[in-house]
Amino acid sequence: MPAKFLLACLVLVIAGPATLQAADAHPRVIGFERFHSGEKGDAVVGGQLLLGELNCTSCHAADKSLDSYIQKKQAPVLDSVGSRVRSNYLLKFLADPQVTKPGTTMPNVLAGLPEAERKEKAEAIVHFLATTGTIAESAALRQSVNRGDNLYHHIGCLACHDPRKEDSPKDPLPTSIPIGTPSRKFTVPGLTQFLADPLAVRPGGRMPHLNLEPQDARDIASFLLKDLDISSGLQFALYEGSWDKLPDFSKLTPKEVGEAGGFDVGVTKKTDNFALRFDGHINIPKGGNYLFLIGSDDGSRLFIDGKLVIDNDGVHPFQQKRKQMQITAGLHAVAVEYFEAGGQETLQVEYQAEGQPQQKLETLIAAPPSKKPDKPEEGAFVVSNDLAAKGKEYFTTLGCASCHNLKKDGQQLVSKLTAPAIAQLKGNGGCLAESPAKTPFYALNAKQKQSITAAIAGINGPPRKPQVGRLASEELISQNLVRFNCVACHTRGELGGVEEARNPHFKSDMPEMGDEGRLPPPLAGVGAKLRPEWMQTVFNEGAKDRPYMFTRMPKFGTANVGSLVTALDEVDKGSLKPIPRLDVVDENDKKFKAAGRRLVGGQAFGCIKCHTFADKKSTGIQALSLTTMTKRLRPEWFHHYMQNPLAFRPGTRMPNVFPDGQTTLPKILDGSVDKQDRSMWAYLSDGDKAILPVGLVTGAIELIAYDEAIMYRNFIEGAGPRAIGVGYPEKLNLAFDANNLRLAMIWQGAFIDAARHWEGRGAGFQPPLGDNVIKLTDGVSFAALENDKAPWPGATAKEQGYRFGGYSLGEKRSPTFTYSLGDIKITDYPAPYGDADVYVFRRTLSLASEKPVPNFYFRAAAAGKIEELGGGSYKIDGQWTMKIGSNQKPLVRENSGKQELLVPVVFEGKGARITQEFEW
Amino acid sequence: MIRATLLFVALLFVSSIAVGQAPKEEDYYKLVEFPIPEYVNLEAGGLELLKSGKLAISTRRGDIFVVDKPFAVPPTDVEFTKFAGGLHEVLGLAEKDGWLYCTQRCEVTRMKDVDNDGRADLFENVSDGWEITGDYHEYAFGSSFDKDGNIWVVLCLTGSFTSEQKYRGWCLRISPDGKVIPTCSGIRSPGGIGANAVGDMFYTDNQGPWNGACSLKWLKPGSFQGHPGGNRWYEMTGGAIGARPKDPLSKSRMMVETKKIPELEPPACYFPYPKMGQSAAGIACDTTGGKFGPFKDQLFVADQAHSTVMRVALEKVKGHYQGACFPFRQGCGSGALSLLMTKDGSMFVGGTNRGWGSRGSKPYSLDRLVWTGKTPFEVHEMHAKKDGFELTFTQKVDSATAADPKSYSLSTYTYIYQADYGSPEVDATKPTITKAEVAPDGMSVRLTIDKLQEGHVHELHLDGIRSTDKQPLLHPAAYYTLNYLPE
Repeated sequence: MPAKFLLACLVLVIAGPATLQAADAHPRVIGFERFHSGEKGDAVVGGQLLLGELNCTSCHAADKSLDSYIQKKQAPVLDSVGSRVRSNYLLKFLADPQVTKPGTTMPNVLAGLPEAERKEKAEAIVHFLATTGTIAESAALRQSVNRGDNLYHHIGCLACHDPRKEDSPKDPLPTSIPIGTPSRKFTVPGLTQFLADPLAVRPGGRMPHLNLEPQDARDIASFLLKDLDISSGLQFALYEGSWDKLPDFSKLTPKEVGEAGGFDVGVTKKTDNFALRFDGHINIPKGGNYLFLIGSDDGSRLFIDGKLVIDNDGVHPFQQKRKQMQITAGLHAVAVEYFEAGGQETLQVEYQAEGQPQQKLETLIAAPPSKKPDKPEEGAFVVSNDLAAKGKEYFTTLGCASCHNLKKDGQQLVSKLTAPAIAQLKGNGGCLAESPAKTPFYALNAKQKQSITAAIAGINGPPRKPQVGRLASEELISQNLVRFNCVACHTRGELGGVEEARNPHFKSDMPEMGDEGRLPPPLAGVGAKLRPEWMQTVFNEGAKDRPYMFTRMPKFGTANVGSLVTALDEVDKGSLKPIPRLDVVDENDKKFKAAGRRLVGGQAFGCIKCHTFADKKSTGIQALSLTTMTKRLRPEWFHHYMQNPLAFRPGTRMPNVFPDGQTTLPKILDGSVDKQDRSMWAYLSDGDKAILPVGLVTGAIELIAYDEAIMYRNFIEGAGPRAIGVGYPEKLNLAFDANNLRLAMIWQGAFIDAARHWEGRGAGFQPPLGDNVIKLTDGVSFAALENDKAPWPGATAKEQGYRFGGYSLGEKRSPTFTYSLGDIKITDYPAPYGDADVYVFRRTLSLASEKPVPNFYFRAAAAGKIEELGGGSYKIDGQWTMKIGSNQKPLVRENSGKQELLVPVVFEGKGARITQEFEW
Repeated sequence: MIRATLLFVALLFVSSIAVGQAPKEEDYYKLVEFPIPEYVNLEAGGLELLKSGKLAISTRRGDIFVVDKPFAVPPTDVEFTKFAGGLHEVLGLAEKDGWLYCTQRCEVTRMKDVDNDGRADLFENVSDGWEITGDYHEYAFGSSFDKDGNIWVVLCLTGSFTSEQKYRGWCLRISPDGKVIPTCSGIRSPGGIGANAVGDMFYTDNQGPWNGACSLKWLKPGSFQGHPGGNRWYEMTGGAIGARPKDPLSKSRMMVETKKIPELEPPACYFPYPKMGQSAAGIACDTTGGKFGPFKDQLFVADQAHSTVMRVALEKVKGHYQGACFPFRQGCGSGALSLLMTKDGSMFVGGTNRGWGSRGSKPYSLDRLVWTGKTPFEVHEMHAKKDGFELTFTQKVDSATAADPKSYSLSTYTYIYQADYGSPEVDATKPTITKAEVAPDGMSVRLTIDKLQEGHVHELHLDGIRSTDKQPLLHPAAYYTLNYLPE
C-alpha cells in the first residue's frame, strides 16, 4: 500500500466514522490488494481480476473469448440461507453491506433509492429469504472453543484471515479477508454447516473446502462464535463420604455442582473419600456399533439413556471394563458415576467407533440448545407472508437473482434485470460513478476503478488488445494462483509465497525439518513433478500428505481450478528429460522389485530413516510417505530428483541419493544408477501393498540377565531420565533413580525392552517389561527432620546436598550404589535373596559418618495405607509386604494425606545399618 | 561457433584425463574396514587408544568394547571384548592414571577394572553438573584431557531447540577433582569435540536455529557460540564467565551481530550445506608430525550424513580462528561420527546411522584411514590477505595453469543469522580474480581479488590448476570462511 494512501486513511480516521466507511469499505479482493494496489501491478490484469471477483459479468455479459481472463466468482447460493444466517443480520446487511461488513464484495443494490424505499425493499427481501429455512440455535461448547481455537490458528485459515488471539495485532492485514464478529450473522449450527462444506454455499472456491470432520467444523464455529452462550454440555455433582461401593446418588445431597470440561476427577481437589456424578448428552454422528470403555480407581458406572451400560463398581486399583453396543445417530443422555475411597484416583471414559481410533467420550458431548432464540437485544424475527411475496419479486427485479442462485419450490429464480454487455461498456459512469443513481454501489477505491477502466479499455479498445483469445498458459497459471490465493501458501518462481506477517503462523510438529516442514511446497515446476491425475485428485479432494505440516491443502474443485492441470502440464512438462531406457528389464520382475525393496531399506539408502511407509512411522523424522510417491509423482521427476534434490527444491534436507551421479552400493543391480532408481520406483509402485522394507519394523530387544546381573541406564518410565535399571538372573528387577538417589521401582519376570532406545533416535521413556511392578516412594530416602512431625522435604536430592557416587559391581556383577549426603556416606546394596523357587529383594543400607547426625530418618515407604504386621513387617496399600531390619523401631505417621513409614537412623559408633525386604 | 568448438576441445581434454589416470582418494589414503562380529553393536560414539595399545570404543547403546589389535593388517584376526555395559549413550572416552573416563548422557564417569578380569567393576561419578529431561536430543559429547587435566563437555539443547534444564546449550570443563567450570554458552546441537595442535578446543555444531550451516567453532573460554537458548543459565555460573551477553537479533548476519555482542565468537569454518556435508561430527588433529601425510597440525572433521572426513586448515586473524575446509576422504562404512588420530598416523573413524541416514549404508562401522606414503596434489593451506588469498600446495604447481586467473572460479555468500531453522546462501557476490602469481618455488600462488567480502564464505574452485606433472588437484575446491579481513 502506498504511503500516501495510508496517510489518507489516517486522516480519515481522525475525521470521523462517516467518511471512514466510504474509504475503508472498498471491496477486499486479496489478490488485488497484494499485487495490484501498489504502483507495480499491471492495471489491466488487476482490472480483469476485479471484473471476475466482483461478479461483473453476471450482469454485463462477456464474450466467450474472455473466459480465461475473467473467471467469475459466483455469489453465495441462497437456497437455504434462512437456515444459516440470522434474518436480523440480513436486514442490516442489505440496508448497507459495506458498513455492516467492511470489505464485502456484495454491492449495495439499493444505494440509489430514497431511504424509506430502501428500507422497505430490504425488509421485504429479508422476509423472503427467511422463508428458505429456519435458523437452529445451540450453544458453543467450552471444549469445542479450545479445540476450534487450535484448528483455526493451525490448519491454514490464517492464510487468508487474521489471527484471533488475545495478543493478535488489532489492525488486520490488508491482504486478509476480515471476519469481524461472526456471531452477528451466524448461529453455531449455521456456521458449522457452512464450514463443513463451503463449496455448497460458495461454489466459486475462493473459500475452499478444508476437509473438516463434522466435529472440527463445529469446533471452529464454536471458537468463532465464542461470544455467544458457552456451555460445557456436561454437569458434575460432587459428594463427600466414605464408601466401599457406589452410593445411591438419589439419596445424597451434593457438596458442589458445576460445569465439567470432561469426565475428569480433576473437577475436585479432593483425593480421598468422595464421589462424582456427571450428566450430559452425547451426539452420535453416525449410528452403528460402538465400543464404550470406562476405567477407574476406585469404582464407576456408565449409563446411556438412563440404562446401565457398564458396571465397574467396587474398591480396586485402576481397572477398565468395556461394552460393545449398537447405538443410533443423534442425541443420547449420558451419565457417569464414580467414587474414590483412598489411594490413587483415576477416571477414564472412552469410546471407539468402528474403524476409528479410541477417543475420549467427552469429544462427543453436545451442547443443549441455547435458551435464547436469537441475538437477545433484537428479539425473534417473525416472517410476514405479504412482505415475503414482495421480497421474492424484488429479488428478481432488483438484480439479486443476477448473481445469487436461489431455488424456491423447485424453481430457479431468474433475474429480470438487464445491463449492457461488457463489450458495450465505456469504462466510466454506471457502477464506476461516484454515487451511482440506478446501478449497484461497490464502494470501489480509486485504484480499483482505474484498473477496471483499464481492463475494459483493454477489452474494448481501441486498439483492441491483440491477444484476446486464449490466455497463454503461464499467465493463466499465475492469474489463477492469485485469484484463488494459492500464493498465500505457495511460491511459483518469483510469484507469491507466505507473506512475512503470516509466516509465524505456519508450523509443524517437526521443527527439525525447518521451513521445509512447515511451509507448503513451492510450485515451480510442479507440472513436471506431479502426475496430472494426481493434481486432479488434489483439486477435487484436497490433500494432507505431509503429516508433519499443520496446514492442509484444501479442496478448490476442478470446476474452479481444473484449467491449471492442463496449463501446468503444458508449461512444466518440457523441463524434464525422459528417463534413460533400460535395456533389461521387466519392471515387474520380482527380483527387480526385491532389489528396490532392499535399496529403500535401513541397510542401503535408508529412505525409511526419514520417510514414513504406509502407516508405519520412520525411525527418524516423519517425512512424506514412500508408498504415496508413485501415485503422486511422475517417474521422470523422481528419477531426476533422486540425483539432485537441491536443483528441484532449494534448501531441502533430502540428501542426494546418487552423489556425483554414482551409487554408493556398487554391488546391487550392477551398480547401475538407472537400474537402482527404476527398481525403487517399481517396488514403491506397489503402494500400500508393498512388502515392508528392511529395518522399518523391528521387534522387541529384550534384555535378559542369564547368569549375571545386567544394567540399563536410560529413560525409564517411573524412574526418571537418569534411571539405572538392573535385571538379575533370579528374574527380579529394579530401577534406581540416580537423580533422587532412591530405589524407584521393583518388578518380576522380564527385565526391559530396549527397542525404543536402541532403534531410531531413542525418544521417550520405556516402562518395565515384566510383571507386578511396584512403584516405590518418590523423593529422597534420607533426611534430618526437626522432629518426627516435620514434613518430609520435597526438594531434589542435589538441592538437599546429595551426591551420587557411582556403583561397584560385586558377585554376579550385582551393583552396590554409593551416594552421600554432606558427610554421610551411604552404600545401598539391593539383591535377590532366597532360594531356588522364591526370591525377594533384600536391600542393605549402610551409613557411615564421622560426626553424629541427630534426628536422622530413613523413609522406607509412603503409601495410602501402611499396616504393621509384627516382626518388623508392614503391609503396604494392602498389596505387598515390607520387612525392616534396624536397631530402631520404625514409626508410622500421617503426612500430607499419606502414611509414611519412618526408620530412625541412630549411628552406633560411626556406622548404621538398615535392611529392607520386599515381598510381593 | 568458436565457443562451441572450444567447449568441445575442453570436453575432450577433461575426458582424456578421466580415462585411466584420474587421481583417486584411495591411492593416497587407504580405508581399512574392520569386520565386526555379529554379537557386537558398534555404534561408535567415542574412541580412545589405551596405554595397553588396545583401542577402546564407546557406543550409543552404552557399551564399551576393547579391540585387541587395532593396527592389524588385514584386521581379520581381531577380537572385540566388552569392557563395560549399561551406560547411557557414551560420546567421549579418555584414559588417565588407570581409569577410563567416559562422557555419557548424564555424567562424566570413570571406571576401572579392579579385579583384573578384563571388565570394569568400579564406576565413579566424576561430575553430573548438568541436567537432563528425558529428551533424546540432550546429548553430551566429551573431549579427552586438556593440558590442565580437564574434560570439556558440550551439551546439546533440549530437542535441539531450547534449554529446558541447567546447562543445556553450554560447554563445561570438568576439572580433575570433578568441579564444573562453565566455559561457553550458545551451543545448539554438537556432533563432536576436539583440540587443535596447540590445545585450543573446538566443537562442531549443526545447521538449525542460529546456525545457517554446519560449522566448526572455537570454544574460546567465556565466548558465546551463537544460540541464545542456553543464556538463561548465566545467572547460575556465579559470574564465572561474566554477565549474560546481549541476545542476537534474528534475521541478521553473524558478522553484524559480533560487532554488537563482543562475546559472540563466529564459526571458524562453515561446511557449506550440502556441498561439504550435512551433519558435522567428530574432530581430530594431525599431530603425528608427518606420519599421516602432508597435513601437519590441520584438523579433520567427520560428516555423519555423507560418511566422509573433511579437512580444515585454520589460521588466526585479528585474534580469531578462521580458515578453509576441503573434501578429504569419502566412503566410510556408516555415518562417520567419532574420529581418533593415533601417534602412528592412523585415523580411526567410528560410524553409526541410527536415526539419521548416511551414505555409508552399514548400521555401524569402524574404519582406519592410513596414508599410503604418496602425497596427493592438494591445496595445502589457504591464507587470507588484505586483497586476496595465498594458496599453498602439497606439490609444485604448473605455472602456466596456476598463473592463469581463468583456472580459478570464486564466489562468495553468507548465511542469515536467525532463530529460524538453517539458512539459504544469501548476499552472493562474484569477485574477480585479477592476478594469480606463482611463487618462485612453485609451491604457492598469490591471488589478487577484487574484492573480498568480509563475513562471507569464499568458495574457490581450482579446476584448471595442474601440477608440474600435469595432474589436476585431487579435490579442486576450497571453502574459506572470511570472518575477519587481515590488516
